[in-house]
Amino acid sequence: MTDTEPKPRVIIVPCSGIGKTYGSVSREAAYVLTEEIRPGETQLVALSMLVLGDESARAAVAANPAVTIDGCKLACATKMVKESGGEVVQDFAVLEVYRRYKQFKPQGIAELNEGGQQLAGALAQEIAAVVDALVSEDSDGGRNG
Amino acid sequence: MPEYLEITVDKFTFKVATDRYYNGEGMWARPEGNNVRIGLSDYVQQRSGDVAFAEVKPQGTGVNFDEEVAVIETIKVNISLGSPVAGTVIEVNPAMETAPEVINQNPYETGWLAVIEATDWAADQGRLMDPKAYFARIKVEAEQEVSHR
Repeated sequence: MTDTEPKPRVIIVPCSGIGKTYGSVSREAAYVLTEEIRPGETQLVALSMLVLGDESARAAVAANPAVTIDGCKLACATKMVKESGGEVVQDFAVLEVYRRYKQFKPQGIAELNEGGQQLAGALAQEIAAVVDALVSEDSDGGRNG
Repeated sequence: MPEYLEITVDKFTFKVATDRYYNGEGMWARPEGNNVRIGLSDYVQQRSGDVAFAEVKPQGTGVNFDEEVAVIETIKVNISLGSPVAGTVIEVNPAMETAPEVINQNPYETGWLAVIEATDWAADQGRLMDPKAYFARIKVEAEQEVSHR
C-alpha cells in the first residue's frame, strides 16, 4: 500500500446503553480499540448518530465493514448497523465476553471498576484480532502486528 | 409442557407454571417420585436479568430447607438461592456450567437447576406456595413496582 491509498477502515459501533454497566464496558472497549490499540485501522461511529440518521455516519457504515459491541440481548448496535445498510462482520456481546473472563467482574456505570476496565481491555484485544484479519484481507502482503 | 398462569404488567409478561410449588424467593419445586426438581421462576429470572454464571451445589451436597443451594450472577445482581426442599443434591443441570442462559430462555423446563432427593417433601410442601398463591404474590409485587415508577 502507498501513502496515497486510503487505508481500509473497520467501523466500530458500541452499545449506547447509558446507565448500564455492560453498556459502559462496550463503549470503553471501543475507546481503547479506536484510540489506543488500533487507531489507524478503525473508526468509531456512535450508535446515536445512526439512530438519528446522520448522513456521514450512515455513509461510513455503508462503505466499510463493521464490528458491533452489544451490551444486552436487544443488540441495538447490530440491528442499527444493518438497518443503516452496513455489513456486520462480527458482533460481540459483552455478556458472552464476560463468560470467557470471569475474573474481570464489571461494576460501576459512570466509572467502571478495575474489573470492568480489564474486561473492556480484553474485549478490545479480541476485536483487534478481528480488525487485523480484515485489514490483512484487504491489504497486499498483510499486517505484521 | 406445563400449563401457565400469566400476567402482563407494563411491557412484561410473567408466567407461573401450575404443576409445581414456590417459595418466597421464587424458587420452584416439582416433585418427581421421591425426588424434587428445582429451579427459578420466570418472574425472578426476568427481574434479575441475563444470567452470566450459575453455581449449583455439587452432587452429594446436603441442604436444609431455605439453605443456599445455588448462586446466580446476572448482569444486574448476584442472588443466593435458598432450596425449596431439604435433602441431598443428586443431579445438577449440566447446562449451568456451559450455558446458564437457559435459565432465562426456559426457566421451567430446560433451565432447571438441580434434582434433590427429599428428606421430607410432605413437610416442605406445606411451607411452599401453590401456583395460585405465588401468582397472586407476584401480581401485587409487579403492579406495585409499576405504580411507583
